[in-house]
Amino acid sequence: MLKLTGIRRSYRIGPVTTEILRGVDLEVHAGDLMSIMGPSGSGKTTLMNIVGLLDRPTSGACILDGRDVSGLRDDELSALRNRHIGFVFQSFHLLPQLTALENVCLPLVYRGAGRPEMRRHAQAILERVGMAERTGHRPDQLSGGQKQRVAIARALVGEPALLLADEPTGALDADTAGEVMALLRQLNAERGITILIITHDPSVAGQCARQTRIRDGRLFEPKAAAADGA
Amino acid sequence: MSRTFSVLSANAREAAESLRRARLRTVLGLVGVMIGISSVIAMVSLGEIAREQARKQFEALGTDIVVVRKAVGSGAKAIDLPNALQVAAAVPSITEAAPRISGRGTFRFAGRKVGGGAVQGVTRSFASVNRLTLQEGRFISDLDADRYWCVVGAGVAEAMRGAGADRLAGSLLEVDEVLFTVVGVLDGKEESYALPVQVNANKSIFVPITTAQRIAPDPGVEVIIARSGAGVHYEAAVADIRSYFRRRAPDLGLDIVTAKELVARMEAQMGIFTLLLGAVGSISLIVGGIGIMNIMLVSVAERRAEIAIRRALGARQRDIRSQFLIESVILTIIGGMLGIALGLAATWTICRFTDWDFLISGLSVASGLGTAAAVGLFFGFQPAHQASRLDPIAGLQGK
Ligand SMILES: Nc1ncnc2c1ncn2[C@@H]1O[C@H](COP(=O)(O)OP(=O)(O)OP(=O)(O)O)[C@@H](O)[C@H]1O
Ligand SMILES: [Mg+2]
Repeated sequence: MLKLTGIRRSYRIGPVTTEILRGVDLEVHAGDLMSIMGPSGSGKTTLMNIVGLLDRPTSGACILDGRDVSGLRDDELSALRNRHIGFVFQSFHLLPQLTALENVCLPLVYRGAGRPEMRRHAQAILERVGMAERTGHRPDQLSGGQKQRVAIARALVGEPALLLADEPTGALDADTAGEVMALLRQLNAERGITILIITHDPSVAGQCARQTRIRDGRLFEPKAAAADGA
Repeated sequence: MSRTFSVLSANAREAAESLRRARLRTVLGLVGVMIGISSVIAMVSLGEIAREQARKQFEALGTDIVVVRKAVGSGAKAIDLPNALQVAAAVPSITEAAPRISGRGTFRFAGRKVGGGAVQGVTRSFASVNRLTLQEGRFISDLDADRYWCVVGAGVAEAMRGAGADRLAGSLLEVDEVLFTVVGVLDGKEESYALPVQVNANKSIFVPITTAQRIAPDPGVEVIIARSGAGVHYEAAVADIRSYFRRRAPDLGLDIVTAKELVARMEAQMGIFTLLLGAVGSISLIVGGIGIMNIMLVSVAERRAEIAIRRALGARQRDIRSQFLIESVILTIIGGMLGIALGLAATWTICRFTDWDFLISGLSVASGLGTAAAVGLFFGFQPAHQASRLDPIAGLQGK
């Protein structure tokens, strides 16, 4: 469903051009649960931004559902993000002024859903992530793990094919991180949602069926499923 | 439901919420727009009210009135009475003409002072030209020449009754030691200040013009109040009068004022006035608008993360733009509504002091709201556009 070939991304700061990604090849199949590990600054977030259609590679092709996205206009990319991609961030990125339910509704707002329909969907997905009791809470009234559940609900409410999680457990303690990972794995197993998790944590990576590492601007996928630690 | 409507209504809900949260900033932002709109409203309404007021005065008086005086510094001593008396007959565009010779005097009745004021020497037509009506008796007639008969104004009549007169017609009024027989009593008459001639009927007495010629210190005709015929342009009437007098009294300079000319001049002045006031209002609106723009820029800068999140969730640039535009328009419309209230309150207060009739001009209210919305759109556009162009990646990383 997603195919990256020869992705390069370089940043120019003044006269110096630094190439962060140097030819990343990656094929993600529907239903994959996949981790990307790598040292800080290795370009994991850069890669995720490209996969998430927030950024354009300097060169290389990104093919989503058989469609090359490199030539698309900004509006078309927005629409693709809205329909096909869900984001989960390390720092949750919930809008502080909105309730949990309203936060979850956001992707549907930009899809043009009607209000009652939007709220019904959001309510259902919040129930699924175990947040049925706190739909009216604002983010500052929720714990870290609860916030991340709401964020996951928001990423899923539009029924995207691909869920991108950039260090989803990075701001959580070990127990809460375990719960969030369990939730992601269930969603992957039950609903067949394709999930790409960026992490520093080998135990998180260890729960993923496919594990990759990024090093020197390239992506490696050790054939052995067993991770040997960071 | 269409996507656009869904996004716009969500944006409107959130904009209202966001403004409510940023309360102090909202209020500060409103002040400028509020003052701007209120000054526009007050100014436009006052202009309209003043114009309406003046129009009413002229309407009571008739806009066909023409006032003829000897010009200041003219060679001739005065307008000759015989010439003045024939104006109506000799000038075709003039239907009625009422010359006046003015003096002053103290009025006594039965030995008691009952007032003092103008002793106006007039002809029969003076009553109709000035719309004077009688409550008792008759007005001066053309057969009263040289008689010591008078018609008293309502105020003088009141004072005479106060001094014990039970029937006024036929009673004697002493004017500076000359006795006049009262032949008529005028109804009360409100003075109009729109014209450069004062009748002041209530406190005056009216005597035959030939009588006035004998007793007044200046026996010349002070003024001719005339009415032009229906459909006559005021410039034509003025030209006709001038040519009439040029033939009769070549060295007489005339000063002629017509009501229509005054109306036209006043309307032009009002137009300039309104324009000027509008300009002052616009300047405060520009200042207010820049204030709004500043608030919106701050708001955009503070909400970069929010904008980035929305973009990641699928908001298009124009969705972000409309969100901030709606916010600034709501802001200025609220400011506009407060400004309309304030402006109308100011107008009402001024009307109370000037004794004008307060009226709410629908046009000014509508244009006030429209202007407010336009200010919001205009000054909100740049911040909203800037918001829509923010890089979502930088916003997400908190850069
Ligand atoms: N906008 C930018 N301009 C210039 N350099 C950038 C920009 N964004 C990222 N970089 C550089 O690219 C490199 C990779 O950044 P990236 O955020 O992808 O790392 P990461 O693997 O996600 O690291 P971490 O684990 O710390 O999140 C870093 O060296 C960073 O300085
Ligand atoms: Mg990162």
